[in-house]
Amino acid sequence: MEAKIGFRNTKSVIFKGIVVFFAFVITLPLIIVLIYIIKQGITQVNWHFLTNVPAPVGEKGGGILNALWGSFLMVMVAAVVAIPVGMMAGIYLSENPRTKLAYYSGLCVDILQGVPSIVVGIVVYFWIVKPLGTFSALSGSLALAIMMLPIVIRSTEQTLKLLPDSLKEAALSLGVPYHRVILKVIVPCGFAGILSGITLSIARVIGETAPLLFTAFGNPYLSSSLTKPMESLPHLIFTYATSPYDDWHNLAWGASFILLMFVLILNIVTKVITRKWKIQL
Amino acid sequence: MTPLENEITAVKKELINMWILVQSQLNNAKKAMVTFDKDLAREVLVKEKRVNSFELKVDRDCENIFALHCPVAIDLRFLLAALKINTNLERIGDIAASIAKYVIDSAVNFDKAAMESTSMLRMYDEAVNILTDTRTAFEMEDTVLARSIFKRDDVLDVINDNASNSVAEVIKANISSITEALYILSIIRKLERVGDQSKNIAEEIIFYVEAKILKHYASSQPGPVDEE
Amino acid sequence: MENTIVKAENYNSYFGDNHVVKDVNISINKNEVIAVMGPSGCGKTTFLRGINRMHELIPNATSKGKILLDGENVYDMNAIYVRAKIGMVFQRPNPFPNLSIYENVIAGYLLNGIKVSKADKDIIVERSLTSAALWKEVKDSLHKKGTFLSGGQQQRLCIARAIAMQPELILFDEPTSALDPISTSSVEQLFHELKANYTLIIVTHNMQQAARVSDRTAFFYMGELVEFDDTKQMFTAPADQRTQNYITGRFS
Repeated sequence: MEAKIGFRNTKSVIFKGIVVFFAFVITLPLIIVLIYIIKQGITQVNWHFLTNVPAPVGEKGGGILNALWGSFLMVMVAAVVAIPVGMMAGIYLSENPRTKLAYYSGLCVDILQGVPSIVVGIVVYFWIVKPLGTFSALSGSLALAIMMLPIVIRSTEQTLKLLPDSLKEAALSLGVPYHRVILKVIVPCGFAGILSGITLSIARVIGETAPLLFTAFGNPYLSSSLTKPMESLPHLIFTYATSPYDDWHNLAWGASFILLMFVLILNIVTKVITRKWKIQL
Repeated sequence: MTPLENEITAVKKELINMWILVQSQLNNAKKAMVTFDKDLAREVLVKEKRVNSFELKVDRDCENIFALHCPVAIDLRFLLAALKINTNLERIGDIAASIAKYVIDSAVNFDKAAMESTSMLRMYDEAVNILTDTRTAFEMEDTVLARSIFKRDDVLDVINDNASNSVAEVIKANISSITEALYILSIIRKLERVGDQSKNIAEEIIFYVEAKILKHYASSQPGPVDEE
Repeated sequence: MENTIVKAENYNSYFGDNHVVKDVNISINKNEVIAVMGPSGCGKTTFLRGINRMHELIPNATSKGKILLDGENVYDMNAIYVRAKIGMVFQRPNPFPNLSIYENVIAGYLLNGIKVSKADKDIIVERSLTSAALWKEVKDSLHKKGTFLSGGQQQRLCIARAIAMQPELILFDEPTSALDPISTSSVEQLFHELKANYTLIIVTHNMQQAARVSDRTAFFYMGELVEFDDTKQMFTAPADQRTQNYITGRFS
């Protein structure tokens, strides 16, 4: 019996060792990528870099202002579309979990989440770009919004489902009408969870390239018009990294660094929000 | 059966055992008196201690049930009745012991003719019967039987009322028998109290079974004071 | 009867086809404390929730019959209005976690968008917390969230929240089941004090509590109202054998 125990202990230690080892292994790619991009990109970033559009081929200098502004604008418009729609859908799904509509729309949301981003881009191309006859920032925003929706919907639904029924009951028993119960009690209590879902969805789409390929298309100049093509960070990285010019390669590294920092900061902000603003139930 | 039911049944059994003991005390005291058996009388005095310890035990058991179980309704009424019946039985036991003491203290046996002319023997028999019947009423929760006790106690009261006269006759007939005659008078008074104690017990039985209170009502008219 | 505040007439409740509350007729007077007791699943909570129309919020829940509040059938009135007129306190204390103590007390006004001046709000908060025997303990932390309060204090906060709406009738659904004995005691003490200004209906699993706090007690069994009488009478000499079996613990 004692020999068996000894053997079991050894097995246990070995197993633990393997698990810890693989945990380390997983962090390696992230660390390698981070280190490399930071190394390559950080030297590119300066005030000039951030406030100028790319220089024509051959000229030195230039920056990524058009891509920065474009990404910002398009993600904002996408958010304005996706957040209300997504929250409402999430609220419906959490309040009426057993209806047929909930089942089928939930199914659609899950399917949508798995649709390849380039397919989303192609669909928006046929819906909006072709009829309008031009690439536009709006179509790019719409494509991004479609990609944001599943995340916003599901995280809203999950957050609200976790809230105890007693909260609703307390409000209803005070004679509060249903819409106010949702808007003034349920959603505020689930605020941290919903907000973290939103920031996660933004972090996700800010780095999407494929849907913007046939929609926003790209623009070497700084533009604020939603009906004209617009540059975005991931698209700029794609174009410039695959170009034959060294200057443009440098721009791509710098842009990669900026993008990476954005995503990193958004993820950290999400974590902080969840911890700090989570309502203690 | 719940623990509470078990404990209440145990209290019932205790009371019945005490009842049996008190009945035998009363019977033995009578036998000792009639046959002038001083040894039997001493036995009665010794057993009186057992009656007292029964009383203490029943009191304690009831107290424990109150503390631990918060009894209500019929359980509550039963325990309140049990406490009072306990006290009544203990007093009857005391009476039996004091009759036995008379037997021990008396130099001469009691004259049979005197006992009969005063109806003391008849009274004694009836008192013993009443006590037996109250026990039956308690065991069977028979409130009809309990109600019949009231009228029968009247018989004892009549004999008691006449006692002064009947004993005076005995003394007049034979002045030297005055000591025994006085004993007989005392015994008659005590037997009347046995009747009263039994009547109290009957009232308690009706209280706990029917939640009707018959206390302090005029003689044998059990007009109910309901607990409503 | 002038003094009647709540009257149920042939009231029945269903969950789908399940007949949960059967033909209840009961009349409750102002400023009474009524305890409603019975074994699990006997319909007492369902009946209680029928009074302030919380029952119908459950899918497939229906009811028949009348419940009169001050003479008017609550089922003819606007449900939201009924719920605002009747206060309810639940088994688990449920103060709103995103609101401060101050805001919790006036939540009924806040959430309904009812405009009240700051001075009036202060008065309502102080009055309600005092009636709930909580004012002294929280008056210096009114703007903190209520999460640091103990279970008993949270429950009293919920009571203050219900009182702030000035109901005539307050319903309690097993209000002390989730509390420790000392908190339970303080809430029961509160019932005695609230009686002067409100009518209380308290559903409880705890017979001793029903005996301690109520004037009259209703005993429900398998959906029926078996007995409704003065508490003293109910616990010394109940009329129905089923009641007696329940209170003496003879149910197997």
